Amino acid sequence: MRKAIIILGVFAVALSSCSSSKLLTRAEQYPLMYSDKPQTIVIMPPINQTTFAEAKDYFYTTLYYPLCEKGYYVFSPFLTQQLFQQESAYDAELFIEGDLSTFREILGADAAMFTIIKDWKKSGLLSQITVEIEYILRSTITGETLYTRGGRIVLDTSVDTGSGLLINMVASAINTAATEKIVAGRKCNVIVLSDLPCGKYSPDYGIDAKYKAGVPYIK
Amino acid sequence: MRRTLLILTVACALASCSTSKTLYSWYDYEDVSYKYSKLGTEKAQNAMIIEYEKLINKQKGSRNVVPPGLLAEYGFILCSMDREEEGLKYLKSEITLYPESEIYISRIIKQLQK
Repeated sequence: MRKAIIILGVFAVALSSCSSSKLLTRAEQYPLMYSDKPQTIVIMPPINQTTFAEAKDYFYTTLYYPLCEKGYYVFSPFLTQQLFQQESAYDAELFIEGDLSTFREILGADAAMFTIIKDWKKSGLLSQITVEIEYILRSTITGETLYTRGGRIVLDTSVDTGSGLLINMVASAINTAATEKIVAGRKCNVIVLSDLPCGKYSPDYGIDAKYKAGVPYIK
Repeated sequence: MRRTLLILTVACALASCSTSKTLYSWYDYEDVSYKYSKLGTEKAQNAMIIEYEKLINKQKGSRNVVPPGLLAEYGFILCSMDREEEGLKYLKSEITLYPESEIYISRIIKQLQK
């Protein structure tokens, strides 16, 4: 009897770790994602509000992989970066509140992903990197904000405690050529965008409407 | 027996909270492409070409196809290396695999053929 109670307790804890009744569903929190159904996303050059000048270049390409894995057609940042530079549009500040119809006409993009880098620093003594980023997905058709979420992530470069396949894949990159700062940005993407509704190439497309959304800001 | 059933139930509950397979295989794409865009050297370009060939020919993700945009990237780089015929083939393959890319990729193809 005692054993059964313990096992049931573990079961209850396991379930509670996966969901919270206080959280809205994704359809409730991001209704326009389900009504507009964007399929193609262009990644805008990040807006850097930090004194770390290289943050913009470091972070720009890191969004490609997680958005593709969410099931969207994502325009290659390698190619669009050249387009932005040719058209003098490498400063996303010019577009974050402006008309996005150009990106629909030139690229065929349904939505544009803006990111604002608010903090990106390394604490030398603690081997910790802090990254704070806000993500805003806007429709190129209506101009409406379809999804927005932010997060402040601290990466301990001496120990990685991440869980889940995607995070482990990101963490494994610490041992490769990538710098620790890029890894911190990648980890922030995976964690914050975890509740972004899925695109048509994902098996969860549409059915994730009933999944719980995360808190609007992760700390 | 009852204990086994309970353990299985717990395992299933946990499994429902996470996905186990990615849609695509990415290998070292992020690191290799970052190096290429930063350094732009011939060595970095060669590493990128090897990476693309792996990404295109050895997909083990659940979709079993090349991720969006990579056929176009590869085609574009081949064109910049004076391997235009081969490059255009990959750019066109991007449109075949992902018709939603047609507006943009056709524009790139037109620019390359000028």
